[in-house]
Amino acid sequence: MTAEVQIRSVSHRFQSFTALEGIDLEIAAGEFIVLLGPSGCGKTTLLSIIGGFLTPSEGEVLIGGRDMTRVAPKDRPTTTMFQDYALFPHMNLRDNVAFGLRMRGVGRKARHDRALEMLEMVGLAAFAARKPHALSGGQRQRVALARALAVEPDVLLLDEPLGALDLKLRRQMQDELKNIQRKVGTTFIHVTHDQEEAMAIADRIVVMNRGHIEHFGTPEDVYLRPRTLFSADFMGEMNRIPVRREGGTSISPLGPLPFDLGEGLLCLRPENIGFDGSFSMGRARLQEVAFFGTHHRCHFVPLKAPDLTLTVNLPQGAHPAPGAEVELFGRDPVLLSEDV
Amino acid sequence: MRTLSWVYLGAIFTFILLPVVVLVIFSFQDGRLPVPPFKGATLKWYAKILGDRDLMDALVNSMMVAILSSLVAVTLGFLAASGLARAALPGSALMRGLLIAPMTVSYLIIGLGLLQMFNQVGIRPSLLATGIGHVVINLPLCFAILYAAIGEHQKSALQAARDLGAREWQVLWHVAAPMLAPSLAAAFFLSFTFSWDEFIIAFLLTRFDVTLPVEIWSMLRSGLSPATNAVGSLVFLVSVAVVVTLELTLFRKGSK
Amino acid sequence: MSIERIEKRQGATLVAPALLWTLIFFVLPFLAMALMSLSHLEGRSVVSGPDLRNYAKIFTEASLLKGIAVSLEITVLVTVISVALAWPLAWIIATRVPVRWRRLALLLAVLPFWTSYVVRSYSWALVLGEKGVVMNALVGLGMLSEPVQIMATRSATVTGFVHFFVMLLTLTIYSNLVQLSPNYARAAEDLGASRWQVIRLVILPLTLPGVVTGAFLTFVLCIGDYITPQILGGNNELTLPQLIMLQLGRRGDYPMASALSLVLMLIVTLAYLACARWLKMERV
Repeated sequence: MTAEVQIRSVSHRFQSFTALEGIDLEIAAGEFIVLLGPSGCGKTTLLSIIGGFLTPSEGEVLIGGRDMTRVAPKDRPTTTMFQDYALFPHMNLRDNVAFGLRMRGVGRKARHDRALEMLEMVGLAAFAARKPHALSGGQRQRVALARALAVEPDVLLLDEPLGALDLKLRRQMQDELKNIQRKVGTTFIHVTHDQEEAMAIADRIVVMNRGHIEHFGTPEDVYLRPRTLFSADFMGEMNRIPVRREGGTSISPLGPLPFDLGEGLLCLRPENIGFDGSFSMGRARLQEVAFFGTHHRCHFVPLKAPDLTLTVNLPQGAHPAPGAEVELFGRDPVLLSEDV
Repeated sequence: MRTLSWVYLGAIFTFILLPVVVLVIFSFQDGRLPVPPFKGATLKWYAKILGDRDLMDALVNSMMVAILSSLVAVTLGFLAASGLARAALPGSALMRGLLIAPMTVSYLIIGLGLLQMFNQVGIRPSLLATGIGHVVINLPLCFAILYAAIGEHQKSALQAARDLGAREWQVLWHVAAPMLAPSLAAAFFLSFTFSWDEFIIAFLLTRFDVTLPVEIWSMLRSGLSPATNAVGSLVFLVSVAVVVTLELTLFRKGSK
Repeated sequence: MSIERIEKRQGATLVAPALLWTLIFFVLPFLAMALMSLSHLEGRSVVSGPDLRNYAKIFTEASLLKGIAVSLEITVLVTVISVALAWPLAWIIATRVPVRWRRLALLLAVLPFWTSYVVRSYSWALVLGEKGVVMNALVGLGMLSEPVQIMATRSATVTGFVHFFVMLLTLTIYSNLVQLSPNYARAAEDLGASRWQVIRLVILPLTLPGVVTGAFLTFVLCIGDYITPQILGGNNELTLPQLIMLQLGRRGDYPMASALSLVLMLIVTLAYLACARWLKMERV
């Protein structure tokens, strides 16, 4: 079961605070969408509006082509997996997972079978008779997922479900979520503030900031070709070099550039600077270096612009001694204008 | 469900507030009985009780017993809580249990026990005896509140103070007490309220000098009277004034 | 001396005053009372036992047995009614009343706490009396042709008790309710539960531990109270505390009063064990 979701010019205000402003979003059926942004950006508000826990001040929400803007959560083809999981502590896992079916009037035998099936899917069938407090965080998260999926929703909404887990477990659960989503085919809309998590699981990412959408695209798109400085910075570290135009050529503090992108900030990811690339960035002195396991993180000061510092990630074992002067090259540059 | 909620709220608030409202209204009754019909307003019953020596003495007694017994209870509770939080003592679970135990025993039984013991050792019923009884009932409460207030964070602050060279009493006075000030205040006010309002222990353990609840009790024996309403209303209004003041000053600050 | 020893000695020094106080003024009197309950009264003098005459008498003499029964009946009735009235009130305040009015509603719900305990019972005597407001209103509205006797009956005692314990339980249940994550109700609703199902299947079971704790408190305070039955219930049927006071007052029968007190304690202890057991089972 799956359905597309359309958000049409949705705005939401809490008293004088504007949480969302003119949001438009087209989500295809079966997509894994991640709403990404810092806290207070409106991502959870948007999720609540899709789930029916909030009615937007303006705009409409369509699920499977039907207007759902004013429909109660229980009558929507959506279910929500809550941040704190909200597993009912007085019910065992089977009854938790079967709860939604029970509310839909499914008979005892049928709903218990289905609950066990769902628990099987998340690998917890053996614990069906246990209560939630006897489980670990990761296990609870799986039960919550099973419970939300047991009623076969068209759209599953996930409110920072991995936030409470430690890093290692989080990575593992990301893979699992992705697998399960592929298996059931339900549209997933997942909220997080962790950009690595977003890139790891999303088909498409919605980068949000201060109540509006900064960028909506695939992880590669959002990371490599950010539309705004905000999404560029939020997705990862970025070197910024100011660029101005003079007589048909682009001039940076490092010297003239061999291409013309216009005026603004030249943005380069640390891994896109190195000893080879598509254009020269002039000579620079290595100031300090730190080993990060997967790479060396180096700070270079360009000789032509001593007040700039470039952060460069060099491959293992391939860095000069501090103090050395080398020529740096860049690739895949993006030119962005200053945020308004 | 919405309408039903408001109807229920109205009904239950009527039930809860009815006796207080009736009490206060008929304290102004210009007649000899505090029952309908209301014959007009007068302040004479208030004048009467404020001029009543026994009643005013009882009020002062109650105040004294409440303040002193609460101070003792809070101090003992504070010391015990810091002590038990300080080190894992052998049998500390047993000690905690013993300190909390009086909470589960009816006041009547505590009073009766003390009365018998005092009789045997020749201590006469008095305000002092009552105060001792009130410490017994309030100590568990103070201990429980303060023990709960000393969390891991507080424990490490106390440890830091000791590490920096503070003596034990300095730790208690300069670090523990200020840190636990809100809980100390809460424990004190709760104790005060319970002592102030306590009847049966005071009834068993006082004779000539009595506390306010005991004095009111003896007023009741002469039947319904607007004077009793006036006493009750006065106690009520003063308590509410204190609570509102606390709410507006102390707790408002504390909550921010 | 090791550091741990010093720590322990200092800890023990701090606990000592409170422990001593509890031992001298709580444990010792209790032991004295237990001992006293094993002696008996002959004429006006106490004959030391140990014997079990008082206890034998309690379980054979009708008036004493009835006191225990009356106390239990009233207490159970009061506990049940109070919980039944307080739960909806706490729930309405926690979920239906707008946030900014919540504190006020709660303050109003416990306002009569601030009258003196003795006065609270007295004011119910005013309200429920033959000439009181309630009878006046009922007769005035034509719902009754003449006043009905409520004062000096069990109904009056129960009303007075329920009034007090509704306030107490509202507070405990309310604090329980607001601690629940709002996501429990949301999750249940999201999965298709109706309002009523949310309450019955999720919220109510989740507050049960709090309710049981509150009910136990009610039970303890109610069964040990002397004032309310004395002022409102009168002397028609005596509760256990009234019987205890009667032994003291009329006959100076300390042994019997002590024995009855221990029975009272036994009942409370049994109730405590039942609650503790239930709460423990609930956790598994």
